[in-house]
Amino acid sequence: MNALSSANMPSKPGSAPKVQAPPAVRLVGIEKWYGAFQALKSVDLTVHSGERIVICGPSGSGKSTLIRCINQLESIESGTIEVNGTKLSSSPARVRENRREIGMVFQQFNLFPHMTILQNCVLGPIKVRGLDRTEAEKIARHYLDRVRIPEQADKYPAQLSGGQQQRVAIARALCLQPQIMLFDEPTSALDPEMVSEVLDTMIDLASDGMTMICVTHEMGFARKVADRVIFMDHGEIIEENDPVGFFDAPRHARTQSFLGQIA
Amino acid sequence: MIREFGTNEVIYIVLALRWTIALSLIAFAGGAVGGLAIALMRVSRLGVARLFAVGFIRVFQGTPLLMQLFIVYFGLNIIGLPTNAWLAAAVALALHAAAFLGEIWRGSIQAVPSGQGEAADALAYGYVTRMKDVILPQAARIAAAPTTGFLVQLIKSTSLASIIGFTELTRAARSSATPPSNPFW
Repeated sequence: MNALSSANMPSKPGSAPKVQAPPAVRLVGIEKWYGAFQALKSVDLTVHSGERIVICGPSGSGKSTLIRCINQLESIESGTIEVNGTKLSSSPARVRENRREIGMVFQQFNLFPHMTILQNCVLGPIKVRGLDRTEAEKIARHYLDRVRIPEQADKYPAQLSGGQQQRVAIARALCLQPQIMLFDEPTSALDPEMVSEVLDTMIDLASDGMTMICVTHEMGFARKVADRVIFMDHGEIIEENDPVGFFDAPRHARTQSFLGQIA
Repeated sequence: MIREFGTNEVIYIVLALRWTIALSLIAFAGGAVGGLAIALMRVSRLGVARLFAVGFIRVFQGTPLLMQLFIVYFGLNIIGLPTNAWLAAAVALALHAAAFLGEIWRGSIQAVPSGQGEAADALAYGYVTRMKDVILPQAARIAAAPTTGFLVQLIKSTSLASIIGFTELTRAARSSATPPSNPFW
């Protein structure tokens, strides 16, 4: 089921061999403005296939904006973005092609409230992949099974808890069988007791070799899963390190004070 | 020469109600098609479409319905169509309804939380799926109450069509009350 082309990468990037395949995502000199406010300042980032990246930083630091640029929910003023070696273009057909390979999970779940869980999941495979209904339902049930809520398929989103809704959102994104998953603070809107069920689902996904870019403040998750942790502030990448180095020996003063505040 | 107001007159007036209803239905159907097009243009990414929709709404919300009826009624002749009260009333009311429904539905579309459209985009849905399956069903629920309110207005507005000689409820009542020799009726 997994559409990953390259073999699973070792979890520590220090020992990662150079792969032949182009990086999953390559950002070069990304600049983003909201009017007079500069949201991203010349951001460079390369994410290899199978790598798990955690991005953290104070609110307003540009971390959500950054990942939203990768699936073109935000436009950029300058710089280039490559996904699987292809430079992104703004033509509507190419934008859809790019989004087909990238799944995204939002802070607010954004399930479609007027559809059942199953309908939420099958719409993409039918309309985007062009599958017939039975095939789409098979895929949907497979991924609902994976996020461990197969029995909720015929309920509506409002009947589910926050944690269950977010797991459905993950399943819905996986139904398009993307190569890259983006997570935009997936646990920030959840009650504390529901955070772990979502994180467990993400850990499970990571162990499968999915390329993941996660904006999150869940430092336990970052330690356990991330190959690299990136700290952003004021639209810039301030520090980038493996989890052990990042948490135990942060180099920059701003990283240190941020980690001090959230600990 | 005063006529008596008897059962025949009452029946005549009540039967004219069907023309009021028919005109209302046609105006609403035409207005719904036009209104959906205007609403979609109003929220379009294309500047030209937005500009057209805004212009259309300005013209048809900003001028009296009576004037619109006159312009369409007398204008039919200019574009080579026969002067016809039915056609003129239906077209004018449909345009009028399109402008108001377009704006009501535009508001309803924009009232759907932005995350819904973003999720549809992130899932690589095309424009049709995004609108038909995700946005419009949710907008329809929001639009139900104001649309009903406007529909009531529209039914009452059909009485204006009597002025261009369309025999609906108001005109039937007037012509029952006024001798046929009256040159204005």
